[in-house]
Amino acid sequence: MSYVRAFAQPLGAAAVALAAAAGLLALIGADPIAALGALAAGALGDRIALENTVVRMGPLLLVGLGVALSFRCGIWNIGGEGQLYVGALAATALVTRGLGAGPGAVSLPLALLVGAGAGALWAGIAAALRVRRGVSEVLSTILLNFIAVLAVAWAVHGPLQEASGAYPQSDAFPDLARLAVLPGMRRVHLGLVLAAALPFAVWVLLFRSAAGLRLRAVGLSPDAARNAHVSPERETTRVLLISGALAGLAGALEVSGVTGRLFENLASGYGFTAIAVALLARLNPIGVLPAAFFFAALASGSGAMQRVAAVPSVAVQVIEALVILFSVSFALPKSGAR
Amino acid sequence: MPRVALRDICKRFGATEALCGASLELEPGSVHALLGENGAGKTTLVRVLYGNVRPDSGVIEIDGRPVDIPNPSRALALGIGMVHQHFMLVPALTVAENLVLGEPGSAWLPRARLAAEARVLLERFGLALDPEARTETLAVAQMQRLEIARALARGANVLVLDEPTAVLAPPEVDDLLALLARLRDEGKSIVLISHKLDEITAVCDRVTVLRAGRTVASRPLAGLDASELGRLMVGDSLPPAGRPPETEPGPLALELVGARAPGLAGIDLALRAGELVALAGIDGNGQGPLEQLFAGVRALDSGELRVLRAPIAVIPGDRHRNGLILDLSVEENLVLPEAARGGEPPIFRARIVRKAELHQAASRAIERFEIKARPADPARSLSGGNQQKLSVARALRARPGVLVAVNPTRGLDVAATASVREELRREARAGTAVLLISTELDEVLELGQRIAVLFRGRLLPVAAGAHTRAAIGRLMLGEGAS
Repeated sequence: MSYVRAFAQPLGAAAVALAAAAGLLALIGADPIAALGALAAGALGDRIALENTVVRMGPLLLVGLGVALSFRCGIWNIGGEGQLYVGALAATALVTRGLGAGPGAVSLPLALLVGAGAGALWAGIAAALRVRRGVSEVLSTILLNFIAVLAVAWAVHGPLQEASGAYPQSDAFPDLARLAVLPGMRRVHLGLVLAAALPFAVWVLLFRSAAGLRLRAVGLSPDAARNAHVSPERETTRVLLISGALAGLAGALEVSGVTGRLFENLASGYGFTAIAVALLARLNPIGVLPAAFFFAALASGSGAMQRVAAVPSVAVQVIEALVILFSVSFALPKSGAR
Repeated sequence: MPRVALRDICKRFGATEALCGASLELEPGSVHALLGENGAGKTTLVRVLYGNVRPDSGVIEIDGRPVDIPNPSRALALGIGMVHQHFMLVPALTVAENLVLGEPGSAWLPRARLAAEARVLLERFGLALDPEARTETLAVAQMQRLEIARALARGANVLVLDEPTAVLAPPEVDDLLALLARLRDEGKSIVLISHKLDEITAVCDRVTVLRAGRTVASRPLAGLDASELGRLMVGDSLPPAGRPPETEPGPLALELVGARAPGLAGIDLALRAGELVALAGIDGNGQGPLEQLFAGVRALDSGELRVLRAPIAVIPGDRHRNGLILDLSVEENLVLPEAARGGEPPIFRARIVRKAELHQAASRAIERFEIKARPADPARSLSGGNQQKLSVARALRARPGVLVAVNPTRGLDVAATASVREELRREARAGTAVLLISTELDEVLELGQRIAVLFRGRLLPVAAGAHTRAAIGRLMLGEGAS
């Protein structure tokens, strides 16, 4: 019964949002059926469209997992965007400046680790500020986003700029430092397999481990948790580090699996859409899979909708906003419940 | 004719009768003490007067005319002001702004004029406060003055203060009492809720005593001594429903030596294995800090806590705030302390929970403590009694050498109360050192082999032959404290 309800509410939210979007499209003079049809076709219509959607899903999935995890602990990590950028930056620095064309068997896993570590460190700043100085993590993570995005802009205009100096972007990753595309696919890369497995790992962490019980306890009642000898400060730090690592890993996967180099606006807005992903998933790690797919489909279908139905792609952002609105106005789960 | 009269007020909240037959008469130019045990109905009665609570029956008269007080604004209009235990001030506003907040007036508040008017007002009542100071920068005693000033600024003739001295240091208490005496001389009627006998005798001229929601006495204070007041407050002895366990104290299990911390003014206490010691006292006399100390979430400023038979387990006084996590399941609540210690076997292996072991452990606890629930039910779905049994079960899971139970039967029905009390006796018989901290006198008498009273952060021992309501009631009011 509870499983039915767990799925019914997000599905309902998505459906109501799409219906409301159809109404809006009609209001601006577009044919809603055609527009939404184009959106669906652009996202899911053929193999290439589907692969595009799956590729877009990767960062949403990872950052969304991190957001869900931290929200469960009562920590509002809004910094997924910045943590992703820092992860991409660190991985790129390692690959293009640190290892050069080092042996791929080492450099690729190392790049992913460094990306995750950098994301964790970036979130760790927010954790330290919160635990030591009482600075709200909402503020610090938002502000750290700006710094991270601007740091990437500076890096690709400066120390990490490609050797030719033609564009503000890094050198291309050597093949050995790139995630292989899966056999028979055009774009879907090995990293996405890893990303798809992580929700299950996070689910075990959250619902089957001592650490997960502690962090849910802190999210539900810091006072009661402290009385049971759980340290809210330690759990806060831990969850921010994990959450940042997931976002940092997303950044590393993006540069080594998708773009093959670092540039500005690498993954603009993914960090924020990931918050919507986590909310639509009702903070359930497994639910993040379909939720990330849904938002990825919206994003990747928006171009087609613009081309075919002459609807501005910003309309998709309106749909996204509606989904968020409807999914959060259906009661969010108590953060400790499944 | 009294300025205010509350006659035969009754109020029921669900199944509990908070007030029935409560009366209070206030004369102009008097300070009236309202006295009673925790839960006697004092706060409910003044909330009726202030319009926070509608009585089920009874009459409120002001200057002889019956009135209806549906809300606090009506109370204010009738000249009744209230100083709450928790101040109702906006921290970011200045003193002057807080003074006029909520008053009908012009939309524009020029700062200078506001401050000037506030200064006049504060001077008239002899309250030394800077009108332009931000409220959050004030000391607690100053905030209290601001609350009083605010009530007076609204034209209050009747001023109700709910345990105003609980938050004050001794010299500040003297200042407050002097202020109350001055206001009395100006003709105000003041209601002072207090448990401190010395304060009551210092400034009050009449006293009304509430017991279990009834007014049991209302008379001039002159000629009443501490033992008489204590007896009025706690009533005559009924034979206790149960008896303390008969165990021989074993080796020392826990020792507090000269324990000082905010709220604790030097406590010495020795607990022996197999002993059940009960601490009585009215809430706010050190119970909270003591619980936090034993729970390990507060350190001592000076003195020492020696635990010779670890671990200490605490059954928290506020099971919702500090005890259970209502949105976790019964089984998760049960093993949370084990998860806190990094995931101990046998419930956890390699820090991952073993579902079968968890289910079994929870089932055993449910059976042993007769908790009406299934292991996976959220704690929220349990009744109060079953939640408390779960809290007891969790505390005992640690196999404590010292068990501290704070108001363990508060809010429980008769059956659940008996079962929790029996559990404490059983622990003592099993050799655990048990410390009961309870504001309920019957519970203390029923369980405590040794009894002491917490008063202003100190322990007043009760002689072994004097385990009576009257003797303990006297100590609860602080007789013999100095």
